Amino acid sequence: MTPAEQLKQNSVTLASNAQHQDGLAAHRGEALDKLRLLPFPEKKQEAWKYTGLNALTAGQLERVAPALSADADIASSIPSLGDCLIVVGNGVLTGQLPAPNGLSITPLSADSINDASPDTFFGWLNTASLSHGLLLKTEPNVKVAGIVHLVFFNQAQTPCHATNRLQIELAEGSELTVIEHYIGSGPILTNALTHIQAGANSRLTHYRLQSESADSLHIGNLQIDQQRDSRVDSSQLMRGNVLRRNDVHVRMLESGADLAMRGVFIARDKSHIDNHINVEHVAPHCHSDQVYKGIAGENGRAVFNGRIHIHQYAKGSDAGLSNNNMLLSNEAEIDSKPELEIYNDDVKCAHGTTIGQMDAGQLFYLRSRGIDAASAKRMLGTGFVNETLHAMQDEAVREWATQWLGEAL
Amino acid sequence: MLEVRDLHAAVEGKEILKGLTLTVKPGEVHAIMGPNGSGKSTLSNVLAGRDGYEITSGEVLFEGQPLADMETEERARAGIFLAFQYPVEIPGVSNMEFLKASLEAVRAAQGKEPLDAVTLLRRAREACQHVNLDQQFLKRGVNEGFSGGEKKRNEIMQMMLLEPKLALLDETDSGLDIDALQVVAKGVNALRSPERSIVLVTHYQRLLDYIVPDFVHVLADGRIIKSGGKELALELEQKGYGWLTGEEESA
Ligand SMILES: Nc1ncnc2c1ncn2[C@@H]1O[C@H](COP(=O)(O)OP(=O)(O)O)[C@@H](O)[C@H]1O
Ligand SMILES: [Mg+2]
Repeated sequence: MTPAEQLKQNSVTLASNAQHQDGLAAHRGEALDKLRLLPFPEKKQEAWKYTGLNALTAGQLERVAPALSADADIASSIPSLGDCLIVVGNGVLTGQLPAPNGLSITPLSADSINDASPDTFFGWLNTASLSHGLLLKTEPNVKVAGIVHLVFFNQAQTPCHATNRLQIELAEGSELTVIEHYIGSGPILTNALTHIQAGANSRLTHYRLQSESADSLHIGNLQIDQQRDSRVDSSQLMRGNVLRRNDVHVRMLESGADLAMRGVFIARDKSHIDNHINVEHVAPHCHSDQVYKGIAGENGRAVFNGRIHIHQYAKGSDAGLSNNNMLLSNEAEIDSKPELEIYNDDVKCAHGTTIGQMDAGQLFYLRSRGIDAASAKRMLGTGFVNETLHAMQDEAVREWATQWLGEAL
Repeated sequence: MLEVRDLHAAVEGKEILKGLTLTVKPGEVHAIMGPNGSGKSTLSNVLAGRDGYEITSGEVLFEGQPLADMETEERARAGIFLAFQYPVEIPGVSNMEFLKASLEAVRAAQGKEPLDAVTLLRRAREACQHVNLDQQFLKRGVNEGFSGGEKKRNEIMQMMLLEPKLALLDETDSGLDIDALQVVAKGVNALRSPERSIVLVTHYQRLLDYIVPDFVHVLADGRIIKSGGKELALELEQKGYGWLTGEEESA
């Protein structure tokens, strides 16, 4: 058996052991069937060209994450970012679910689960091993006050697998601001799947903060489906670790949808980050704007694959993608690849990607004013992504992000 | 203050300075003049410690210390300030944030407390006023989108805040209109003091109408070929550089 076949078998076994009789049993069973048919991701597949999964041979696919020990001090590691806090520890909800006005927060059930899993190996593994999911559902035409802060805290001493599942549904005309925030440490693999459905004329401000420590692993799927005239503003901050892979798939399904998506990813030391973004303009007259900035230092490795797919009937599409990257050392590596697939000619589409070293002239200028080289590099790195952080709408998150950035650089 | 002895320096393996000697004492203002390409900016960059500018022989002492042993930032902290011929744009780093970091580093090296936020802002505003720079520039990215003249005034503004012992001004006058030139000159003159030395690098005599130097040196092909008092600048203005470089060739 090849290592990939072994890992596939481990995944199937892990999911099989997760099968039990509750409302979600049928969904898990179907996902398991699907999982059996899929090959395990390997570098020979284009989508996994730069990201090997050898790290998982340490055993992350052999054990379900144990319950957090009762004395785990989660609270002290959670910054105060929102008005309504929900904490999930190693895949299990801790504490009560709050009930803010205009929003229902409930466990994901058989009736409510969105079956359209992202069609990826780890997406199916997520559903096949799911026991606790969360559903956030707004009432129509209500603006939910404040910020909902969802913390997924995953921590373990030995390699294991934690399933995190979030489903957000915005009813017509509603507004919501939500943070999904991943923290924790140890050789635990976070398998996170978030499914967002933005109803007609709704507005979502979404943050996806991934700041687990460097020894953790994270494979995430984010699926966003947008209906007529919906507006989604999504900010994604990611720090490299042993293995980080994010698949983001946005479908603009009805006309007038508007997407602003931005991200900052930082790979220092020996860490790894792989972003695969796919924005599909399915319906006409939708607008998408993406700005991603990457920084890699030491032996860090980052990958950015940004695909824009404009369908045949999506006339009047306006799509933009920029990915600018900065290398802090000669050993660091960033691979950036835009992919455009355009099937009609009434389209405005702009994309650009750059990879550069830190500017020697800028560095000299700062140092010539007495600023030491390390601080100067930090300032330039911060300056490079500052514009992206400034575009984030909520001040509390911006402040957290600035501090996060300072620590990462 | 500054002692340059038979300095040879190379950029990317090419020798640009070919035996330059210069002594600057505290309180003196020196002007270094020379045609384009004569090595003026190379000298400035060598003194400030830019990577890639290599001292191949000779030595440079600042207050008796060999500069070659000091990192760029250490030189700045010791009191050397270079006003760049082409100030660099740094989008995303605000001018104010930059000034704060710079002042903190330089003051700490001098054993001074960091300025509190209010004092810092007040001083920065005063310095802006001194060089006729709108305070809005403090919030913008360092030199980002500044006009040529605004960049030069921003350099002088930084100099006023940092109060260096030795200020090197590399063609701070070029590209300025007469009004801006006077503003810059006023800023420089305000800093003149018995403890401070100023080296003006220029290829026009014009600036020296406003900042009167004690000594004028002519730099050509990496060497100082003539030194004199302020009247040398006027002579150069009338006769051009050919007069001197020709003399050099026939000598
Ligand atoms: N980075 C560099 N690489 C190669 N040659 C350079 C570099 N900088 C300057 N030079 C050369 O050094 C000589 C002096 O340049 P410079 O010091 O800029 O003169 P000035 O400031 O007097 O106009 C010129 O011949 C120029 O082409
Ligand atoms: Mg020059």
